[in-house]
Amino acid sequence: MYKHNYTDMAGGALMIAIGATVSLIAISEYSLGSLKRMGPGMFPAGLGAILTFLGLILVIQSFGKAGERPDIRFWSPLFVLGGIAAFALIIVPFGLIPAILAITIISSFAELKVRPVSLAILCLALCILAPGVFRFGLGLQLPLIQWPF
Amino acid sequence: MELLNNLGLGLGVALSLTNLSYCFLGALLGTLVGVIPGLGVLAAISMLFPLTFNLEPTTALIMLAGIWYGTTYGGSTASILLNLPGTPANAVTCLDGYPMARQGRGGVALFMTTVASFFGASFGIILLTLFTPIIAEYALSFGSAEYFALMLMGLIASSTVSNGSAVKGLSMVVLGIIIGLVGMDTQTAAMRYTFGILGLLEGVSLIALAMGVFGVAEIIMSIRRVNKADIDPESVKLKAIKPTADEVRRSWLPMLRGSSLGSFFGTLPGTGPSIAAFLSYAVEKRVSSSPERFGKGAIEGIMGPEAANNAADQTAFIPTLSLGVPGSATMALMLGALMIHGIAPGPTLITDQPELFWGLIMSFWVGNIILLLLNIPLIGVWVRLLMIPYNILYPAVLMFICIGAYASGMMVLNVWMVAIFGALGFVMRVLNFPGAPLLLGFVLGPMMEEHFRRAMVLSRGDFMTFFDRPISSVIMILTGLILLWSVWSSEGFRQRRSQRSESV
Repeated sequence: MYKHNYTDMAGGALMIAIGATVSLIAISEYSLGSLKRMGPGMFPAGLGAILTFLGLILVIQSFGKAGERPDIRFWSPLFVLGGIAAFALIIVPFGLIPAILAITIISSFAELKVRPVSLAILCLALCILAPGVFRFGLGLQLPLIQWPF
Repeated sequence: MELLNNLGLGLGVALSLTNLSYCFLGALLGTLVGVIPGLGVLAAISMLFPLTFNLEPTTALIMLAGIWYGTTYGGSTASILLNLPGTPANAVTCLDGYPMARQGRGGVALFMTTVASFFGASFGIILLTLFTPIIAEYALSFGSAEYFALMLMGLIASSTVSNGSAVKGLSMVVLGIIIGLVGMDTQTAAMRYTFGILGLLEGVSLIALAMGVFGVAEIIMSIRRVNKADIDPESVKLKAIKPTADEVRRSWLPMLRGSSLGSFFGTLPGTGPSIAAFLSYAVEKRVSSSPERFGKGAIEGIMGPEAANNAADQTAFIPTLSLGVPGSATMALMLGALMIHGIAPGPTLITDQPELFWGLIMSFWVGNIILLLLNIPLIGVWVRLLMIPYNILYPAVLMFICIGAYASGMMVLNVWMVAIFGALGFVMRVLNFPGAPLLLGFVLGPMMEEHFRRAMVLSRGDFMTFFDRPISSVIMILTGLILLWSVWSSEGFRQRRSQRSESV
């Protein structure tokens, strides 16, 4: 337990940052127009201001209440998001099969335990299943494997 | 008589071979994904959405609806056998369903929830059939001011009434609307928040957003937390699913009460199936002559809530289809799906697209019958699925998400978006922000802005237009009251309730 609710404080700060940025961009880059005929910037500027205001309330409230230590895992998001990023980088130049292998192997590390046999079986199964569903079942034009160089 | 004709038309559409098979496929896949712990209905719909791209709009919607109520059915399986609610609406089912499974009556519990779900859904469908056309006709006179007010009420109600902090819910709605701004402004053709990325011209992909926030973030949170099932396969064999005569007798009234409660709360913005299920459980416990049995495997404790959440699932379509204003994130996703298929939702939908509307409604019924037939013999299969270790399931799910994202528009950008929104969803979850209001704001945002700007043009820049028109002023006042109520009840009351819901 903490004296203040740091989770809400961080959340509020994040909302203030996003809200302020959105408003600033709207005011500086897009025309605001008038209330009678609003330009593209008016609505976003207002929304940013509201978000900033809500963030402020969160920060102020967070001082008044106790908070619990949030349970933050570092490795799970890293491997899962890293796997997706790898998929995004690989799918176009190298094709579907390498992309599937990349996301399956990288994201499975998030368990922090490597099981070589079950991982290999899973990879094999997915490499058969996914092209079957998406390429042959749904008729998507996805090259299975290619070498761009 | 006209109603009968329409129902006949709908039945014809729903029973066509294509629609029937996609309804079946949707219900099957929905149940499959719903059974997997940690993947809720939003993740299920967004994951499976790419499968509907090449279909006719009516068929696509029928399949999506099948996925949707399939998920609700599937969710109850995980609740009962694992004490892990597959969807939030099934959380209450854990309270008495899991004890039943522990007593070796898991099969009975599964069978009876299937019956309750079907009963509740049928109840909801009847109301949907009767009321949607009436409301839609009434709504034809609505102008932009009314629509803006309605959407505002929907957003504020859904972000403040649900569990947790109202301020956080509202922040997520606003953030959702902001994300919805990205792309070309429809009225002036100005580029907003695209940062020079061409792919963002048409805005952020709904699918990528939903898959990131609800699929990827959910998986990140579940890794190394979901344990392998501890199920006794004997308790769910087909011969073990027959309820006793006493249990059947005690199930009728809870189902009826649950369906009525669910139907009412399903139509209101912000309440929906979860709250209906919780209320139904509370009511059953209150009216029971032996409340001490609750929590220890009382059949009433699963029949009421399951009927309630399925009835609510169906009646939630009333505002969505009649007004084009969704009351929950799931409905927002369905509406988004309609728009992606090029259909403008609103009160004219029923008259413009009668095949779609009546076909969809009748397919609900067909789909629920399919589920009834599907679930009872397949209970054993779902159980086996639950016994697959999570470390095999989640990479497979992630792969499907990635391919689905890429397939929606064949753009790598969408895969990156999934990663970005997955990260956002993860941060939100760690900081205790709810995800559903974000999606609702995202879908409603562009429509809201359009109606707001149009109303302001018509009133020559006078804000009072929202209060001068009778219908819109009533809605605005109601919205104000909801907001006031949420502020008033925010601190002590809410903190206690959110703590309780976290411990469930």
